[in-house]
Amino acid sequence: MRRSDGESAALTPEEGWEAIHETVDRVRSSMYVAGSATILLLWGAIVSVGLLAVYAIANRASESVVSSPWTYALLWGGLGIVGMASSAVIGHRASSEVAVGNTARDAGIRVFLFWVSIMAAAFLLPAAGGMWNADDGANIPRVTVGIVVLGYVLFGIMHRPAIAVVGLGIAAAFYIPSYLAGDAALLVIAGATMAVVGLGWWWIRRSGVL
Amino acid sequence: MTDDEVIVLNETIHQSTRLRIMTMLVSQSEGDRVAYGFIQKTLGLTGGNLTTHLRKLEEAEYLVMVREELGDSRPHTWVEATAEGRRAYGEYLSNLQRVLGVVRG
Repeated sequence: MRRSDGESAALTPEEGWEAIHETVDRVRSSMYVAGSATILLLWGAIVSVGLLAVYAIANRASESVVSSPWTYALLWGGLGIVGMASSAVIGHRASSEVAVGNTARDAGIRVFLFWVSIMAAAFLLPAAGGMWNADDGANIPRVTVGIVVLGYVLFGIMHRPAIAVVGLGIAAAFYIPSYLAGDAALLVIAGATMAVVGLGWWWIRRSGVL
Repeated sequence: MTDDEVIVLNETIHQSTRLRIMTMLVSQSEGDRVAYGFIQKTLGLTGGNLTTHLRKLEEAEYLVMVREELGDSRPHTWVEATAEGRRAYGEYLSNLQRVLGVVRG
């Protein structure tokens, strides 16, 4: 057995084998997170807009509108559809600057299906729990945000820990004010969520982890 | 594999950066192209270093580089493994496995 000579002499077969596996993992992961920083910012904005809308509804709308679970279903459902469509466009544009072909398309489809599953769970689990009624409707955002945060954490664990950290930041921005800020909770949450996501986006872009 | 058999690892591929580049390209489906910038960022290379290794692999006809403008008018360089590159990589991988004793026979 003989190893090749010259500049390659520094690389042992074991190191070569390790480099192959490490590269395959890194490439796959990098394809999955293409465009994630911008999508992260988008969803932070969507959650903030949704919460501001809930605040406006609670303070300005008639009692029948406020107490109807359909008000919140339409609001969050509509925002969810806008978010998913926008995420698909951003993800497609980002992946087309990474690679062209079946592999990049498959990666994009997997990521899209992951987030569609998260959004579907955010809608269906409160329904399965019998929350779509006048008494529990106002609590649905707590479940919805929790499930979206879970999506950030799971995606971050699998691909980039920074995304999981931002997800935990979103959870803190939502749950702490919701229990401590009283009547102004929704306004504080909207501002805090935007701040967390904005800082997360800036940190992720600056550090180059995405 | 007999004890006196000589296994030669392809020295064009068996180099840290070029091995990673070829792995990246060959891990894509046949005919897929990878952006130059994506390779540079994923492997953490400088532009000059990446270009040097890409040229060496291009000279060996293991890859082709295609420069084109996308809709935003920014020039993009795409890199694609050739059939010869995939064959050479497959042979390299097979030899590497034999060296490591992963494949017995």
